Amino acid sequence: MQEVFVNMGQIRVLQTSGILTTVGLGSCVGVTLHDPVAKVGAMAHVFLAKSRPERDPNALPGKYADTAIPALISQAIAKGARQERLVAKLAGGANLFANLATNNLSIGAQNIEAVIQQLNLFKIPIIGKDVAGNHGRKMRLFIESGIVVVTTAGQESIEI
Amino acid sequence: MDAKLDFLRELGNIGASHGTTALSKMLHGERLTLVVPEAEMLSFSELGNFIGETEEIVAGVYVRMTGDAEGHMAFILPYPSAVTLANMLTMGSDTELTEIGKSALLEVGNILITSYINALSALTNLTLYPSVPDIAIDISAAIWQSILVNAEIADQVTLIKTIFTTPNKIELSGRIIFLPTEAGFAKIAEVLGLEEF
Repeated sequence: MQEVFVNMGQIRVLQTSGILTTVGLGSCVGVTLHDPVAKVGAMAHVFLAKSRPERDPNALPGKYADTAIPALISQAIAKGARQERLVAKLAGGANLFANLATNNLSIGAQNIEAVIQQLNLFKIPIIGKDVAGNHGRKMRLFIESGIVVVTTAGQESIEI
Repeated sequence: MDAKLDFLRELGNIGASHGTTALSKMLHGERLTLVVPEAEMLSFSELGNFIGETEEIVAGVYVRMTGDAEGHMAFILPYPSAVTLANMLTMGSDTELTEIGKSALLEVGNILITSYINALSALTNLTLYPSVPDIAIDISAAIWQSILVNAEIADQVTLIKTIFTTPNKIELSGRIIFLPTEAGFAKIAEVLGLEEF
C-alpha cells in the first residue's frame, strides 16, 4: 500500500487508498480530515499556531494553524471531498521539555487550541484526538477506513 | 557564506571541546573524541528531511540560552549511548534508563552545555545565561521538532552540530547542538568583528 510521509509544515491528500503518515509529532499537531463517502483523506503537520507574514512571508500554508486548516479543507475538496462530510482527528501538541514553556500555556497547547478554533470556524466535527502530555507521537491515517492509528514510543498503538 | 560557516564551525569547536572536557573529567578521564563540527544553514523544508522519518529513540537535554545573544542548545544521545553514559556516571549496570540514570544524564548534559556557553561567553565577552535544563527520552524527530518549534524557526535556521565518540570499545556517541537565533548569531558575529557576514 502507498504510504506518504507528511513532514513539518506540509499538507498531503490521498484518494481511495493508502496511508498518510507523520513521524515524531512533538509540540507540532497532526490534523487529518476524512470524507468517508468520497474516501478522501488529508493530513497537515502544523508547526505553530499563528502565521507571521512579516517574519516568514513565504511559509508553506501548512506550517501555521490559521493558514493550514483552510488550505487542508480546500485541498481535500479539490480531490473530491465535500466539506459537510469532513470529519477531523488530531494528535500531538505535547510538551516534551517542561522548561520550554515560557508562559502558562505550552506551545503544544497553543497549537492544539488554534487548530480546534479553526476547525470550529469551518464547522468540522472533531471525532477523535490524542493530544497533550509529554511524549512524542506517530500518526497514520488509513484512507479507505478513515481510521487513525497513534503510536507512542514504548507503548501500544491506539486507534482514534 | 563559506566564511560564515567556517566561523560557525570554529565556534562549535571551541564550545564543544570545553563541554566534552568537562564531560571527560566526570567520566574519570575517559577520552572523548570530537568529530569536526558541522555548521549548516538549512531552509525550513530542508529541515523536514534533516530530521528524517526514522523512529530512533534518543535522550535529549535541552537548555535555552538567553542574555546578550539568544539561542537553543541540546545534547542528544542515541538510547544505547544514553544507557552507557548513565551507567558510567552511576556505576550501574542497567540495560534501560532508570530515574537515577536520567537525572545523572540531565546533570551531565547541563554541565556540558553550560561549559559550551561559558566558552562562547569568554570568547565574545557577551553575558550569556543558560536556562534550567530538562531531559526527554523520545523519538528523535519529536525531540528535534520540539526544539525547532520552541525556536519558532521562520524560513532558515543555522545549526552547529558537533559529534563526539570515544576511542575505547564502548558504545558512546552523541551530538551537541547549538542553534543561535538570527539576532543572536548577528550579535556574536558583530562583537567578533565579522559584520561582513
